[in-house]
Order: sequence, then C-alpha cells, then structure tokens
Amino acid sequence: MTDTKRKWLVRCAVIVFILALAALMMILGRGHTVYFDNKTLEYNGETYSAKQRINVDVTGAKTAKLSKRDRGMATWIGQNFTMDLEITENKGDEPVKKTVSLKLPYNMDGIVVNLPGLLADLPREAWMSEFVSMAAETEAEEAEDEIVTDDFGLGDF
Amino acid sequence: MSETVNQTNPSFGKLIRKAVQSFGLPRLIIAGFLLLLFILAPFVNADLPMQITNTINRFSWNAVLVLAMVPMVHSGCGLNFGLPLGIVAGLLGGTLSIELGFRGPASFFISILIATPFALLFGGGYGWLLNRIKGGEMMIATYVGFSSVSFMCMMWLLLPYHSPNMVWGLSGKGLRTTISLEGYYDKALANFLQINIGKLSIPVGTLLFFAVLAFGMWAFLHTKTGTAMTAVGSNPTFARAAGINVDRIRLLSVIMSTWLGAVGILVYEQGFGFIQLYNAPFYMALPAVSAILIGGASVNKASIMNVIIGTFLFQGIVTMTPTVMNNMIHMDMSEVIRMIASNGMILYALTRKTEVRR
Amino acid sequence: MSVKTVPAKGAGKSIGSFLAGNSVPIMFILICAVCIPVSGFSFTYLLNEIMSRLGRNAFLILSLLIPIMAGMGLNFGMTLGAMAGEIALIFVSDWQIWGIPGMVLAMIISVPFSVLLGLFCGKILNMAKGREMITSYIISFFINGVYQLIVLYMMGPIIPISHSSIKLPRGYGIRNTVSLLNMRQSLDNAVSFRIAGVKIPVITLLIIVCMCLLIIWFRRTKLGQDMRAVGQDMQVAKDAGIDVERTRIISIVISTVLAGLGMIIYLQNMGNLSTYSSHSQVGMFCIAALLVGGASVDKASIGNVFLGVILFHTMFIVAPNAGTKITGDSMIGEYFRVFVSYGVITVALVMYETKKRRAKAGNGRQLQLEQEAIK
Repeated sequence: MTDTKRKWLVRCAVIVFILALAALMMILGRGHTVYFDNKTLEYNGETYSAKQRINVDVTGAKTAKLSKRDRGMATWIGQNFTMDLEITENKGDEPVKKTVSLKLPYNMDGIVVNLPGLLADLPREAWMSEFVSMAAETEAEEAEDEIVTDDFGLGDF
Repeated sequence: MSETVNQTNPSFGKLIRKAVQSFGLPRLIIAGFLLLLFILAPFVNADLPMQITNTINRFSWNAVLVLAMVPMVHSGCGLNFGLPLGIVAGLLGGTLSIELGFRGPASFFISILIATPFALLFGGGYGWLLNRIKGGEMMIATYVGFSSVSFMCMMWLLLPYHSPNMVWGLSGKGLRTTISLEGYYDKALANFLQINIGKLSIPVGTLLFFAVLAFGMWAFLHTKTGTAMTAVGSNPTFARAAGINVDRIRLLSVIMSTWLGAVGILVYEQGFGFIQLYNAPFYMALPAVSAILIGGASVNKASIMNVIIGTFLFQGIVTMTPTVMNNMIHMDMSEVIRMIASNGMILYALTRKTEVRR
Repeated sequence: MSVKTVPAKGAGKSIGSFLAGNSVPIMFILICAVCIPVSGFSFTYLLNEIMSRLGRNAFLILSLLIPIMAGMGLNFGMTLGAMAGEIALIFVSDWQIWGIPGMVLAMIISVPFSVLLGLFCGKILNMAKGREMITSYIISFFINGVYQLIVLYMMGPIIPISHSSIKLPRGYGIRNTVSLLNMRQSLDNAVSFRIAGVKIPVITLLIIVCMCLLIIWFRRTKLGQDMRAVGQDMQVAKDAGIDVERTRIISIVISTVLAGLGMIIYLQNMGNLSTYSSHSQVGMFCIAALLVGGASVDKASIGNVFLGVILFHTMFIVAPNAGTKITGDSMIGEYFRVFVSYGVITVALVMYETKKRRAKAGNGRQLQLEQEAIK
C-alpha cells in the first residue's frame, strides 16, 4: 500500500518538476528583437534631439553605430535587457559611457527603443513601442505557396 | 460499433453487427462517406454528370493497376507493394516505343509488346527473390519497388534516349519528368467506341480492355494452374503434398502481377495523356493496394469483384472529395483525407488475423 | 564493435564468414574509398561535416535500438516521434522561445505527443505480430496524413498560431519551412572547440554519450531483460510470466519518445524545419544508416550506430560531387544516394529473412531427426 503510494508521489513530483521546468523555460527563453532609434523625439511638447553618435554594445559585442536618424537592432533572450552605450552628444565632444538596463515586456516580439527619450529618463511609454513588421502586410499579397511534400528523400540529411 | 446498436432490438442489432463484421468497419465508413458525397454533391452545386464522368474515367485508368494485385494475393505472396517494379517495365516500354518512332494508337500495343520482356525479366527476378524470403514478402516488396524506382531515376538520365519529344531541350539528353503523349498513344483506348450522352462520356474502349484482362484473369483462376495458385495461397503445405510445385506457381503469380503492373501503367498513361518518370511511380502501389482492400479483399483473398468495387469506391472518393469539399468549406482537404482513408484501410487489413501460413 | 567474434574454425573460413557477416559495411567502405578522391573535398571539410552529422543524427538512430531488442524489427514508426518533435518545435517557435530554453521546452512538449503516438503504434503492432515492419511503415503514412490534417488545416483556426512568419498567407496552415534561426546550433555552440579545424559540439556529444550509457544500463534492468526475452521468443517469454504485449508497447513508446527528442536535436542543427518532409526523410535515412553500420533487423549495437553514421554520411556528402564529376550531371549523385539508401535496406531485409528461413528449416530438420531417433 505504502509502496504504491510512494510510487504515485514520485510520479506526481516528477510531473510537477517537469511542468515547473517548462514554465521556467518559457520565461527564460522568451526571445525579443530590440530596435534602437537615434531619432529626435517629441514628448509633451518638449523636443529631445537625436545625438551625434551612439555606439551600442549588447553582450559585449559592437552591435550598432548609430548616427542621427539611424536604427540598429539586436536579439535578446529573456526580459532583463542590458546594453552599453557610448554617447557622443555633439560633434567633437568626448564620448560618454553608460550602461542601461531595461525590462522588456514579455508579450512583445519586436521592441523599438528611442534612445534620446530613454537617456532623458522619460516615462516608459514615451520611448518604448511595439515593432510592427511591414513585411506582414506585403506577404499577404504574396502568391499562395505550394505545399511541398518530398517523400522521395532528395533533401540533405 | 456495438454501442450504437439499439439495445431493445437484439436480433436486429445482432444482424447489423454481423453485417459490419463481415464487411469491415473501415470499408463501411468509406462506402458511407462516398454515398454522403454523392448525396451532398447536388446541394453544393457540384456538377454530378461531370463527377460521374470523372469517376468512370479514373476508374478506367486505374483498374488494371488494381487488377495487378490479384495474382500475388492468390498465391499467398501478399499485397504487391512492389508494383513500382512492374510500372518501371511499363515505362520502359512506353518510352522505347516513342524512341523507336511508333506513333498513333498502334504505339500503345507496341508499348505493351516492348514492355513484356522487361516485365517477364523483372518479374522473374522479383519472384525468385520472393521465393527465398517467404513470410517477409510485403516489406521486401516495398523496398524492391523503391530501389527499382530510384535506380531508374539514374537510368532515365543516363540511358541514350534521343527523341526530341522526350529529352531535355537544352542538354539534348536525359528524359524529362513529364512527357506528353500527344501524337503517340494518348487516349488510344479511350477514344475507341467512346459514348457521349449529354455531359456524360464513357470511355468504352478502356473499359473493354479492362474487361478483357479481368475476364482473362477470372478464366485463368479457373484453370488447373489457377486453382493450384489458390491452393498454394490458402494452404501451401497441402498444396505441396498434392504435388504442386509451390515455388513455380508463386513465381508465375509474381510475373503475372508485374506484367499487369506494366500494362496498367500504360493504360493509365493513355488516359492521363502523359508519361511521368522519376519519382512518380514511387507511391503508385499504395493507392492500388488500398483500392483492392476497400473493395473487400484481404491480405490473402481477392477476387475480380473486389477489384471493380474497390477501384470504383476509391476513385469515386478521389474525384468527389475535392469538389464537394471545396464547394462546402472552401478548403481542399482531399489529399489529406485520401491519405488517411487509404492508409487506414491498409492498416486495417494488416491487423486482421489471417490463418498462419507455412 | 562491428567486428563480430567468429568461431575459430580455420583462418580461411573465419575470414570468409567475417566478410559475409559484414558485407554491407565493407561495400560502403569501398564506395567511400572510390568516391572521396573523386569528389575532391578536403579532409578537414569532410571531418567537419561528419562530426556535425554525427552530432545531429546519432541520437535519432539510437532510438531505433530498443524495438530491435524487443524483436520488433526496424521501427519505421520512428517518424511518429519525429512528427511529435516537429509539432513541439512549431509551437515553440510561434511562442518565440529561443535558444537552449526553447529546445528544452520543445522536448518537454514533444513527450506527451510521442507517448500517445507510441501507444497507438504499439497497440496496432500487437495486432499485427509477425509483420511489424510493414505495419509500422504504413502507420507512418497514416499518421503523416493526420499530421498534415493538424498542421495544414487545424493550425490557425483551431490551434492558435499567431506569427505570420510561420503561418501560410491564406490564414491557416503552416508554411513549408519554419525558420529556427534563433535556435540554430544553440546546443552545438554552447560549448565547442576546434581540433585541427574540426568543430566539436561538446554538449551534443555528451548527450549522445549519456544516451548510450542509458541504453547499456537499460539492457540490464528487469524491463530490458524482459524485452530481450520477448525478442528471442514470444511464447517462451509469455510462459515465463512476462506481459508480452505490454513490454512490446513500452519498447515502441520509448523509441518514439527518443525519436522525438532526437528530431529536436537534429533540427536545431539544421536551423530550419521542412514542415512536410523532414520526418519522412529522417525515417528512411536513419534506418539506412543503422543498417550500413552492420546492424541487422534482429541485432543492432551502439557500435553499429556510430559506424553507420560515419560511413553512410561520408557517402552522403561525397556522392553528389562524385556523381557530377563522373557523369557530368548533378542529379545523378543525388539519385545515387537515394538508391543506395533503399538498396541497403532491401539487402538487409533480404539477408534477415533468408537467415530466419534457414534457421527455421534447420530447426525443422533437427526436430525430424529427433523424432526419427525416438522411433
């Protein structure tokens, strides 16, 4: 009796553990594409002008060098996003180094961050917006692609 | 299935249960499905005479391929999953007759003539192989078919064909994947004695050709050799005791199946209007196998009637589903339904208990 | 490993039986020996390719071992597991879970699907004893139909799929290819280094080694012993009190689950998923590779798996190029390797059936002799 009870307990524990692992993976593995704009932002009547130059490093690698009105992108797994910025305010200034961390919203695939707005410590909704792919709309007009079922095995393996 | 039967009427229930058992549940579902399609067709504005014409046409193209299953089932070699081997022989016949410059409907018979020695040769080798591995025929048959098709894929490229209607225009060598039969044996049988009643058109020539072969098969099965074949299939030990050369009979059945496969693909091509090479013969065995099973055959029992009913049901579903489905829900699920239905049927047949052989 | 112990009955005979017992691997070594120089590939390139293919295929092929142990032959139903893995990957890529966490999640999701499909397959195979292989082969077609029904029609309207990058423009169904770019080789690259220009995917290889150890351990467990007994003789096993049907079902379920996990490892290396063709190719090539390694329908070892991957894939890599060089047509090599895959399976099946028949005939003769002796 106790033996079967223990068996069931172990089974339940294993299932709970696996479910917990799955949930953890869902949180840890959520991928985002972060786009950063070096563009002039208008917010509440005030203007935050674009910087002369911003170098963005994500995970230690040079990701983007942004002049005015440039956009760069990086992929990131998880919600705690960190990047190193190297900001040149105006032409000829010494670059200022800064590390910025943000929380990425879980349900957004593509996130656009306006760097001048972010650096001016504006509220979140001012500099963060969801990236809407233009491709999604053009693809709708694309010809219906034929379903290919290659059972013969002429593919690589 | 017994749960659905009304409990208050046990004798009636028993009757139904018995009918279902003898007929087979999947077969019943498929027949019911086809019936449903025919009933639905007028409601969804499908052109019924057109559908029936298509069904009959497709029946006439495919029936011989299904007939090719009969000899091997009779001799106990199981379902001929190696049908592609016969098809390859037929393709060789068809392409060679074009290469040699035969034209018009006569080239159809020339094709059969040329295909025959190949079919005998391939069938002989195949039969010899199957005699060495009694009991594992079906799996090996499948792979013999696949190997031969993939081998011929290389050969179609390498064999010295020259006819400009068949080879790739650019390089001048290697056969094309599809070859039009216009001017050759396109509709060679179908145009013979064709009957047109309003929108309904019946390819009497092709049906007659099938009828001749089917009658020939029926007659053969009633000859001494034919009954010996049935005996070998149903009880090889007994057959051996009765002095029948089991291996020779099995070899004969395999050769017959292969030859019918070769003729079958030529009949198919004359109706379809194109020769399809390379990967095309690959899965041609499965529709033929499931058709004869739908018609009521089992792994070790098959009759001409099974061939006719099965081909009609199978091709009926193949032609009816796309139109009815498309008109009803605007989704063409026919391919998937065909896959599930035909493979489900084969699966059902394989799981039936058959008496232990050998 | 591939070298089987041969009875010492004189050197000539033992060499002959060694050649006969290993004819398929030897044939392949010869094919490779001819094709490698012709293809003109550099040695480093070849080694790199083989290492990468070893990493992505070995796990899949290992999933075939357990049903062979249980006497159920080559499990053509491993495609079922592959389909379960693919469905899991479709979900994971729609939810945008990337990298290794995405793989782990996909593996977890694939397991319930695999178990269900394995149960179904095992139940059916129990109804078709003696012709397991052709039945499992047809099951793979049948389930492929169901898979297409789900992926091509239900995903979208019934099963929510939100990203247009994987959904067909018509609004339902999954595209021909699903990109796994964000997962691509995440496992292989997690820890990797190069030896003489050859990339070693450490974690992937570690997982494969663990799997091998697990299989070795499993053979010694009660269940493993039962399976071997069932594989030897079902009637004897039944008399010994083993639940034959259950044991057979378990072996298929394990194989399907492993195939599902293997498929995820395989696809993370490939980096994209061919929604409607990946699984059917995998089934055929894995079986061919195992047989090339010297396995037979009733006997396969871990050594066969590795030898098979190396030999089969060397052929696979060099055949197209060698074919082009020899015949001047690029398709010849492609068709050739398909032909060889099918040919190898055919030869292995024929050898197995003839052996079985000969053994049966031998048994019969012995029985006859015994009976005569009694008289």
